[in-house]
Amino acid sequence: MPLLENGQIIQDTWQIAVEDTPLPAGDVLVPLARLSEGLGRNEEARLGVVLNSADEIEALREALPRLDLVVLSFPVFRDGRPFTQARALREHLHFKGEIRAGGHILPDQYEFLLRCGVTTVSLPEGVDLSVWQHAHEAFTVAYQPSILNEQPEGFAFRRRLA
Amino acid sequence: MPHVMTQPALPVGHYAYDSVDRTFLKQRVAQFKDQVERRLSGALTEEEFKPLRLMNGLYLQLHAYMLRVAIPYGVLDAAQMRTLAHIARTYDRDYGHFTTRQNIQFNWIRLEDTPEILTVLAEADMHAIQTSGNCIRNVTADQFAGAAADEVLDPRVYAEILRQWSTLHPEFTFLPRKFKIAISGSKQDRVAARFHDIGLIAREGENGRPVFEVFVGGGLGRTPAIGTRLRDDLPEEDLIAYLEAILRVYNAHGRRDNIYKARIKILVQALGAEEFFNQVNAEFSAMDRARYRLPEATVEAIRARFGTPDFAPAGDAAEKLNAQRKADQVFDAWVATNTHAHKQPGYCSVTVSCKPTGGIPGDVTSAQMDLLADLAERYSFGELRITHLQNVVLGHVRQDALYEVWQALAQNGLGTANIGFMTDIIACPGLDYCALANARSIPIAQKLSARFGSADLQRKIGPLRLNISGCINACGHHHAGHIGILGVDKRGEEAFQITLGGSSGGEDASIGQILGSAMSEDETVDAIARIIDTYLSRRTAGERFIETCRRLGTAPFKDAAYAPA
Amino acid sequence: MDRRNNRRDAEGISVVTANRLLDGRIVWLGADGQWKTVIQDAEPYANSAIEDVLQRCNARAQQEALVGIYGVQVTRTVSGLQPVTSRERIRAAGPSVHPDFTPDWPTHQPALHA
Repeated sequence: MPLLENGQIIQDTWQIAVEDTPLPAGDVLVPLARLSEGLGRNEEARLGVVLNSADEIEALREALPRLDLVVLSFPVFRDGRPFTQARALREHLHFKGEIRAGGHILPDQYEFLLRCGVTTVSLPEGVDLSVWQHAHEAFTVAYQPSILNEQPEGFAFRRRLA
Repeated sequence: MPHVMTQPALPVGHYAYDSVDRTFLKQRVAQFKDQVERRLSGALTEEEFKPLRLMNGLYLQLHAYMLRVAIPYGVLDAAQMRTLAHIARTYDRDYGHFTTRQNIQFNWIRLEDTPEILTVLAEADMHAIQTSGNCIRNVTADQFAGAAADEVLDPRVYAEILRQWSTLHPEFTFLPRKFKIAISGSKQDRVAARFHDIGLIAREGENGRPVFEVFVGGGLGRTPAIGTRLRDDLPEEDLIAYLEAILRVYNAHGRRDNIYKARIKILVQALGAEEFFNQVNAEFSAMDRARYRLPEATVEAIRARFGTPDFAPAGDAAEKLNAQRKADQVFDAWVATNTHAHKQPGYCSVTVSCKPTGGIPGDVTSAQMDLLADLAERYSFGELRITHLQNVVLGHVRQDALYEVWQALAQNGLGTANIGFMTDIIACPGLDYCALANARSIPIAQKLSARFGSADLQRKIGPLRLNISGCINACGHHHAGHIGILGVDKRGEEAFQITLGGSSGGEDASIGQILGSAMSEDETVDAIARIIDTYLSRRTAGERFIETCRRLGTAPFKDAAYAPA
Repeated sequence: MDRRNNRRDAEGISVVTANRLLDGRIVWLGADGQWKTVIQDAEPYANSAIEDVLQRCNARAQQEALVGIYGVQVTRTVSGLQPVTSRERIRAAGPSVHPDFTPDWPTHQPALHA
């Protein structure tokens, strides 16, 4: 699947763990239930975890320094829990790695995702990238602080969006 | 004319937009226009588009699209009211409906006109943002804010801070369910703070800065609940941080599997108040508090964008008013019911009744909107407020101008002297308009209004809150009415249940009890007449309806309601 | 959509209704496959056949710019087709509190669009 990062489509080099199958060599994404198995690998390759929207971020506290990627999943775009998960990863656990959003997401949510700390989005094949780019440029001002620490715009909590 | 008002540089009573705010609104309109185009092209499915249009106040109702325009904390200026009148005339059927969230709804809107309507609104610094959807809705405030004699501090500055903070909030725009906040700054709670997802009551703290009492998990609907007090003295600087913490716990843990159990009140009940409090505190402790701190300077920067009335000394206004009241009994009765004590000597607040006898509660024509705008400009510093009881307030009227104001109102169907009385009915649009309703709310309201419309009879009955909802979602706040009426569906036909003993305000907030099985519309009207007769015959001297209900319990009223004809 | 609106008896007849996406106006499926603005122009179908009709309509909903397609059970009366529930009678006739707002009310009044 194409990956959107900073307005560009980039190559997704990660493999997703297949159920009931040993973890492959190379960079791999595991579900929360297989996190310790992933951590136990004797490999130089990177490890990431895929969370469901119901999973607790706190469960990653100890493993997080060894993770390069956390994937947050939207079962449907109306399920807003991944926004809080992303923000908690950045704000509570000070995670510096990649946070990727996947699942059913609308372009209209892209800016919200970025402001909650998401860095990449998995998009369906054949998606019109311009719609996502347009969504990113739709607003030049926001009305509240975010984990991106944007510059103030005038007074109060207003922020200038890049 | 006793005086002609000069209009101050900043609008009185609400936040004045600057170029940044206007840029944002233009971008929001462009975004919606783009969303409509993507819907028409098929890039967005109806399932995807629906939450997006709802977040811009656009519903598909029983007959047509309905657009709900935001009136933040219920305050608007004369020019904005004229814009609403223009929209009613140009894009709708010449009227609008004031809602219990201090907003206005237009019932006959076309989707294809909506981007243009939003452009017209934006030119008047207005919008429809977050008037629906599973997000933080319009923040409501005391309709006598900045005017009431009993006010401790003006809540509107904080309501504006919350409005801005919640606007397109990146984390809280796809909540489990809608989220309603109310704020009051008076000893008397006029916002039903305990019936909101979050209710805030502001008062002065020890260091001279405000502190907030925080209630959470109140609400009406299918599971009526009175809010739990989480904090007694939340400092001003923590207001945003603490609300972020509450919303985060809710966003992460509120139910998403059943929309009827998705409001925060269900989460508070499921966890228990103590555990909920602990989770909020854990979040509050873990978060980057500096990021969300609300500094005094920010509060004052927002306050500086509010115009304040430049009161002229009122001279002998009070004496003139007294003489006019003595000379005209009808006027005297109107002043007694439809005015509220003002903190400035010689002034008062006027509540304009949008509940004419036999009329549709909360509906006003474009001509009436224009008249209200004119009166606000001439007599009330250009400021108007919409109340959660679906009336309109002129906040700051000199007492010697009341007679002229009343005459102009009365000539235009807005002079009914019934505020706080039985015919000051709250009613949702009901099955005449609403896709969710089970029964019509308006016709039964009209029948009751006509039946109890006599000025003498209403005065004799005294203060009585009558609230009507067309379904269990309770937009008409039936549980909070002294008498409540709930529309139900009996095998495809409309029927009504009566509740008794509800109250929205302050320490004695209570939820009405259902009297018994549902009846037809006419039976319900007759049953309510018998309930009133029971009250009149059983009350003690000076006892209000709600007090008699509490003293006697529901039994004698139930007997009366179901007495054989 | 509210499931309640789409329930019907095993026996009886129903008509198909929707809202036009662009203006929200209520429409009814006629015998000629066109969408009509008054219920009296609607084609009644046996309840046993209505699911198939709804499926066909839903397949064309995007291209015909319609939303909220569902079936409304009706009876034949002397004054024509009449929905069996009060909700659907109000939806078909217009709000009872504004008798002038019938389905024939002009949706656009260009004179006002100055």
